[in-house]
Amino acid sequence: MSKGALLIARNNDTIDYVKQAVFLANRIKKYLDIPVSIITDSVNYLKDEFPEDTFDEIIKIEYKDDINKKAYYDGSLYHKKLNFKNNYRVEAFDLTPYDETLLLDTDFIISNDLLKNCFSSPNDLMMYKKSEDLAKVRNEKEFDHISDYSIAFYWATVVFFRKTPLNKIYFDLIKHIQENWQHYYSVYQLKSTLFRNDFAFSIAAHIMNGFEQQYDFVNELPGKHLYTTDRDILHKLDGNNFIFLVEKKNYLGEYTLISVKDQNVHVMNKFSLNRIIDEVGYE
Amino acid sequence: MDERLEKAIEFSNYMVTLNNQKRLLKEKFYEDLIFFYNGCQFTVTRELINFCNTMIASEQEDIIIVDDNDIPSQVLDIQEFYDGIIDTYFSASNTYFAEYESLKKNRSVGNLVGLDLE
Repeated sequence: MSKGALLIARNNDTIDYVKQAVFLANRIKKYLDIPVSIITDSVNYLKDEFPEDTFDEIIKIEYKDDINKKAYYDGSLYHKKLNFKNNYRVEAFDLTPYDETLLLDTDFIISNDLLKNCFSSPNDLMMYKKSEDLAKVRNEKEFDHISDYSIAFYWATVVFFRKTPLNKIYFDLIKHIQENWQHYYSVYQLKSTLFRNDFAFSIAAHIMNGFEQQYDFVNELPGKHLYTTDRDILHKLDGNNFIFLVEKKNYLGEYTLISVKDQNVHVMNKFSLNRIIDEVGYE
Repeated sequence: MDERLEKAIEFSNYMVTLNNQKRLLKEKFYEDLIFFYNGCQFTVTRELINFCNTMIASEQEDIIIVDDNDIPSQVLDIQEFYDGIIDTYFSASNTYFAEYESLKKNRSVGNLVGLDLE
């Protein structure tokens, strides 16, 4: 059975997701020792600017300027409204060249080999449910349930799946949810109308579980999903050692230093991640 | 700012960082305690170690152990499994101890996170 990682990179007018994908691909190869493929609408840019042998396969998709705006923060004091081009994740099942795929967001920084164990797991579909905010000063309930009166939250940041008929049904269901988003965000009582993959994947998991929450159609990935939000700043990255400035509770613009070593971290502040990539390079 | 308050706030910042680092070390310890066997995932606990030890003492050859995802796994070689979890436990706890001791010795925010703030 073929196995590999799959990344999706669609640049908007400010954030260079392709750069993040190249950076992450090198870390995946280093720590997980698996090939990496990319789905992108910026093939020429990728081929012109980055080493050719970074990706196993480059899967080209049509360039589209989706209208799905959201505020991207760079620390707690600055933000910019940008296009959030997140609607290709559901295509991962059909587009992946692998039988066993580890689908990752480009801002999930791999620093150990823990996720390698997914490929020997008997579970065909795995995502993170448990998570830990590095700052620990914010309300984490939004990542327990998709809304106050609704179902369990699953992170679509990292998804392990095998190409099974059941997973095909799951991904097709997510497509259906995406196409009928107005209906689903209303039924599941979401606060925001913005389409989010985490919500769509969670809703689909709930439906596949027989509209129950305790069943295990989706199993949990090993470990916890560690994250920093875009209100925090990645200050330094030295090999596997991250240093973050995380926002202080009730003190806008003030931060606390935190360091994390040898653990995978979801770095949601794309501005600071790209600055760090420029600083440390792609290796 | 009043010097007394300034010193207290400096210490307060240090305490926030120290406790954050302790929390993250504990999270890493829990992650390091994960042991994979036959595709299943087991968090090594003292209870699991004792259970396996008892099974070996009572000369059981193969047993069923339920993993972290509630999947029953057949362990055909209990001694091999036991050796694996013991190794995982000692490796994780020794790392936790060493890093915790190192953390305790650092008396400034910069030293706690390995950053030169001078």
